Amino acid sequence: MSLMRRGAITCAEQTSIREVAQIMMVNRIRYCVVVNQSHEVVGIISARSILKAFGKELDQTKAKDILLPYTISITPSTPLKEAIELMGKKKIEHLVVVSERLGSKAVLGILHASDIIIHLAKG
Amino acid sequence: MVRVCDLMHRGVIYCYPLDSAREVAKIMATNQIRAVVVVDETGEVWGLISIMELLGLYGQELEKIKAEEIMKPYKIEVDPQLPIESAIALMKRKKIDQLIIIDPHAGPKRPVGILTSFDIVQYMSGLQVGHYESQLKMKD
Repeated sequence: MSLMRRGAITCAEQTSIREVAQIMMVNRIRYCVVVNQSHEVVGIISARSILKAFGKELDQTKAKDILLPYTISITPSTPLKEAIELMGKKKIEHLVVVSERLGSKAVLGILHASDIIIHLAKG
Repeated sequence: MVRVCDLMHRGVIYCYPLDSAREVAKIMATNQIRAVVVVDETGEVWGLISIMELLGLYGQELEKIKAEEIMKPYKIEVDPQLPIESAIALMKRKKIDQLIIIDPHAGPKRPVGILTSFDIVQYMSGLQVGHYESQLKMKD
């Protein structure tokens, strides 16, 4: 999984949606990983999740209210083809890469569709 | 009232229907974008190729696949003067991440810009483009 970005931009479950949007803007990313106090992944918020929240009270609504629950993840040893198939099947652009230790939810990095496109462009 | 033209990116990054999928991937990678507009020789919109369409081609010979084979026909025409709330509602309803903006004064199917979900995130964040760090510091 050499294409994965090591580390991830995260926010807490109690972070407001406005702050999540600001985190995305400042870091120029389209996702934010939501972690709990033990730094375990709880879910992920995408640009579309933020868009869906338009009309809600942005400072009162919390990350935990709009996140996509953590159910899909890969490990560093997942074959790239398998990861791409997972993205296509679930229609998601980023996969959370977690530790291979059984049951671990510690975030190691992110595999993003745009990094795969760069790989495809090189041929 | 905030309108689409206040938030959209002016101009579109495009390819032609007969360009190969490899070229489309290069356009996407070079410009760091997630969708490429397909236009014909006269500049009219034919369709849109998103990052997910290209991802599905992994493992195939990209030189042999043409843009017109993988594009999704684009039928939603959005006026630059549309209120942003209506544009957001449209994106939510159609489950799409980008809207091609067509100016009726520029001619039929002439793209003048693109509005993405990331532009909406920026709008909702309340931050202006650039100088994010100084803006955040000013808040404190």
